[in-house]
Amino acid sequence: METHAIDIYLDHAAATPVDARVLAAMLPYFTERFDNPSAPYARGRAAKQALEDARGRLARAIGAKPANVTLTAGATEANNLAFGCVDGPVAVSAIEHESIMAIVEAREHATIPVEPDGMVTPAAVQGALTPRTELVSIALANGEIGTVQPLRAISDVVRAERRRRLDAGEETPLYLHTDATQAAGLLHVDVSSTGADLVTLSAAKIYGPKQVGLLWARDGIALRPLVLGGGQEHGLRGGTENVAGAVGFACALELAIGERVEECKRLSALRDTMQRTLVERFPDAVVSGPRKEARRLPHLLHISFPGLEARRLVIALDRRGVSVGTGSACAASKMRTSRTLQAIGLDRSIADGSLRITLGRPTTEEQVRDAVDIIGDVVAAEYARVAAQHDWSEDRGNHHG
Amino acid sequence: MGERVVVGMSGGVDSALAAALLVERGYDVLGVYMRNWTADLPGFTCPWATDLADAERVAVGLGIDLEVWDYEAEYKREVVDHLVDCYQHGITPNPDVICNEKIKFGLFAERALSRGADYIATGHYARTVPGTQVVPGTEVVPGTNRVPGTDRVPGTSGTTGRLLRAADEHKDQTYFLWRVPGTVLSRTLFPIGDIPDKGTVREMARERGIEVAGKKDSTGICFIGDIGIRQFLLSQLDSQPGDIIDHETGERIGRHDGAFLYTVGQRRGLGIGGGPVRYVVRTDTKAGIVYVTSDRECPLLWMRELHLRDTHWIAGHAPRPGHYEIRTRHTRALVGAMVEHGQGATAHLVLDRREPAIAPGQSVVVYDGLECLGGGILERC
Repeated sequence: METHAIDIYLDHAAATPVDARVLAAMLPYFTERFDNPSAPYARGRAAKQALEDARGRLARAIGAKPANVTLTAGATEANNLAFGCVDGPVAVSAIEHESIMAIVEAREHATIPVEPDGMVTPAAVQGALTPRTELVSIALANGEIGTVQPLRAISDVVRAERRRRLDAGEETPLYLHTDATQAAGLLHVDVSSTGADLVTLSAAKIYGPKQVGLLWARDGIALRPLVLGGGQEHGLRGGTENVAGAVGFACALELAIGERVEECKRLSALRDTMQRTLVERFPDAVVSGPRKEARRLPHLLHISFPGLEARRLVIALDRRGVSVGTGSACAASKMRTSRTLQAIGLDRSIADGSLRITLGRPTTEEQVRDAVDIIGDVVAAEYARVAAQHDWSEDRGNHHG
Repeated sequence: MGERVVVGMSGGVDSALAAALLVERGYDVLGVYMRNWTADLPGFTCPWATDLADAERVAVGLGIDLEVWDYEAEYKREVVDHLVDCYQHGITPNPDVICNEKIKFGLFAERALSRGADYIATGHYARTVPGTQVVPGTEVVPGTNRVPGTDRVPGTSGTTGRLLRAADEHKDQTYFLWRVPGTVLSRTLFPIGDIPDKGTVREMARERGIEVAGKKDSTGICFIGDIGIRQFLLSQLDSQPGDIIDHETGERIGRHDGAFLYTVGQRRGLGIGGGPVRYVVRTDTKAGIVYVTSDRECPLLWMRELHLRDTHWIAGHAPRPGHYEIRTRHTRALVGAMVEHGQGATAHLVLDRREPAIAPGQSVVVYDGLECLGGGILERC
């Protein structure tokens, strides 16, 4: 790893550093309070108590009952657990996270189209439902272009269909799942106000540890375990519980909620500065996602520089000490055009030049100022290079004649 | 802008430095990552995404474009399927030789030149020098004296280049380049072929801030990486259990999963516990028998006279019969040999001294001083 005089991290939608307060809360559970919560002696019972306290705090933070919260090793597992509650056809938006896409590929599913700003309209959800649909899954906020979905209105559509089935005497279940991973800490996430029946959350994006997440499921939804073992998590997830992780998760979520309003104001102001400056310098740049502030994640800027290759920009920025993403990490590493950008109808020549910049708790005003200068310089240099180079285009023939 | 070069960039240090040197020398450089076929087996992590990312970082650092040219289907057909087919018949080919001939100095070169390149370049340890202008239609009597630099190749146009071993004799890769036509070599640059050793290559890369300067060399067959040829072949071919028989006594001493898994001279993976070290002397893939010996002096473990088929001569015709040097394996020393060509694309070699036997299908490469003249493929004894 190279060291730079400048080290500006602007990819908080990919990973966040564990907050020092969170780490401090977790540490005792690695050393003196390491016990197995299933152990019969006092130390074990204390570990069990710590785990259940953490579960209680997590539940309270999202307006839920502790018994409905299953702790998992991260959001991907929680999503897998959620989809296991039914066997029938599912409907998901065209811009869901890789983990959802991978799950539905293997089963009968409908893809719900999105608006050019990434919005999933209730009408589009309605259009995708059939009498056989058993699960609808829409992320509360999209992690690539930052669209915040009208989940409440979508849940009305789901509820109306459920009502219709009840009245018609049909027994096919229908649930609404939302992956709130990218929304947590930035939006108010309360299970009852989302209107969802299943909610996924992760500690990794809210300054907590990785591989720690949860699935909340409404009463009466029968989940099926993915990991069989010693009956932990009400038999829904075998394996000795990650007490330190649960404690860290609870602490991280409480901190994020406590600081949310102030922090979002700060982040959106910084993000707006960044957007304004870059768009002024590069008037052809395209900003994706909703325009309305309330429909947009406050820390995220998705900006495309037509005619440039984002992968080159990321490398060039890395060399200058600025870390940014090109979108979902999974899509980027597989080097194909982002599914999300295809779904919103962004032209390939624009999509290929897209950067996803996400600010976070450690991001300072000075960093944003420096980053804007560096991004501007790198983009300008790349435009100059592209303009100066000759055309190696296909089929121009051998110039020897 | 200078002359145009398309350089193959693998993500490794050799091709990275090659590209950097071309940029420094004022060429107009386009980097290309050639995507080849890779095995998709459980437990095998394909390194190509990482290698491409490395190549991209180097290209951005040099300020050159990098394109990905996809040869997955062609590579599978020309190199992988051929390899499996050979093994199935008890023949052990050199996949790198085929890859260089068909892909790198075949399809890649063609596309680069049709895109207007003056040259192609790679990070191979080898050198080229110009040959002579070829006059189309002039006749050359086969078997005439080969005078370096004055040969004329009938029926082709353009110039034939000549192939020389690298300055670094230890890293020299001409053993894998003997099937590249001289007409392609005349349009080929090997920018690192003059560098005395790998240490210097790394040092020069470091001086230039090339991030892959310390990246470890790739080993093994590129498309199967670490899984090994045995596991790969078993994934492609049905196992055909059979006997391992002692060549001297005719005694059955063990069982194997398929004669195609064994190659002459091999001593590991025989699965015969205890006893002396045994070597494979011969495989009979039809009967499914692997013959072994514990006698290091067994004549089948040595060779003195070699029959080559599918010979290829870089200059376009066979060298004058005479005494040359040959190499029977990339890592082996050169050995003197009388070389005489036979009917069609065959040759007959008599070595100055015996060499450990190599498997049928392996390349035998002929040199005159530093110059690689071409070679052939060892015929089954």
